[in-house]
Amino acid sequence: MSSLQAALRQFLAVEGVRTATIIDMATGMIVRSVGKPDPDLPATAVCVADEARAVQDALGAGRSDGELVEIATVTGSRLQVSRILLGRPAPGLMLFVDLERGKSNLGLAGLQISQLAPAVLA
Amino acid sequence: MSTADPADAAGPAGRAGPEDGGLEGGIRRYAGAGSSCALRVAGNPGGIIFLADGGICGCQTPGAPGLEVILLRSGRLTEADWEAAFSSAAAGGRSLTEELVRRDLLGAGEAEALLRTALADAIFAVLAGRVDGWAEAAADCPMPLAPPARPGWLLGESIRRRQALAALAGPPVSPRDRVTAASPGAWRQAASWPDAGQLELLGLCNGRRTVRDLAFARGSGLYATLLELARLRDRGLVAIAADGAESVSPSRSSGIPSDAGESDRTVAGLPGRHADHASGTPRTGTAGRRYLAAGIQLLRPRSSGSALPGGHRDPPS
Repeated sequence: MSSLQAALRQFLAVEGVRTATIIDMATGMIVRSVGKPDPDLPATAVCVADEARAVQDALGAGRSDGELVEIATVTGSRLQVSRILLGRPAPGLMLFVDLERGKSNLGLAGLQISQLAPAVLA
Repeated sequence: MSTADPADAAGPAGRAGPEDGGLEGGIRRYAGAGSSCALRVAGNPGGIIFLADGGICGCQTPGAPGLEVILLRSGRLTEADWEAAFSSAAAGGRSLTEELVRRDLLGAGEAEALLRTALADAIFAVLAGRVDGWAEAAADCPMPLAPPARPGWLLGESIRRRQALAALAGPPVSPRDRVTAASPGAWRQAASWPDAGQLELLGLCNGRRTVRDLAFARGSGLYATLLELARLRDRGLVAIAADGAESVSPSRSSGIPSDAGESDRTVAGLPGRHADHASGTPRTGTAGRRYLAAGIQLLRPRSSGSALPGGHRDPPS
């Protein structure tokens, strides 16, 4: 098992997690993914990458209040957390965690994801 | 085993063609056999694909930046750090990737992720170009991906990219097309002002650099650069001039469109292409730099409401 896969598998222990995915923000390509098979994940990855780049562009570079860190999305059935892992080479790599809303708490999930995220690329 | 004539090779090497599935079919056969070898691909850009135990662990091609270019040109690593790691790895008999991780210059997960993205881009560049044939070769992969990537993932990703590019509005963009930045006057007509990354890219678009050259200059992937330039073209910020060779289009049954030149285009069934000049005449590199300098002036704050030299005014906030 690769180091990326092993690190991503840690997220499956978070309550409600369906998939944990590393996405190349420049292309929307799924670099690595673990969890439940999801035929929509490739299209979702492209959309999530587009969204994150759009937010980064809107924020602009070198802002005094910092760069984009995370985007949390809540739908009727899902919680989705997108977290920037690496800024260079630009636009970088992001972690995308998809959770069942009925089994998750956004605040707790966000905390657990933020605690596990630094180990993904280490 | 290496051979000068792909047809003489003992393995499933051969020439691209729909009857044998082309290079994609060849890769699948080697992978199915659990092969560990290097395949030298003749064509434009061509390259070398490295297999290990049926997986793909590397790909070197002049068509896409490798990890070294990506790390150095993006500023992720300094040349000094790279050179030190290279020398130490060579002296210690370690792989360069292991040495970079050992020196804490890259994380293990980061190295794997970046190798996977660079590999996907390289495979895309080879498959989207012209493939004249391939044969086993004696070559070692300089920075092998461990564990190797599944060929199905890489081949599927390459098809996805070609379909995504074909779905973009406007003529297909080729890695060999030359790109010229539009004048700052055109930027004011765009829906939004270019961001910092786009300004950096626009500054490199001097009418002589190809899409591939721009990818190497910035340390960005070829596919990412194709996407970005197609979007900038749609916004009227660049003009893209067809160079005449391969264009990226969705795969046919063989998996690889063969596009050796203008006369082959209709035979290959590729979408029609035409030059895309903003002004109708090519812009020289010097003129391009003048326009860009004028554009950068527009971005600097002014102390008064007077117009800048050249009659330009600040863009709308």
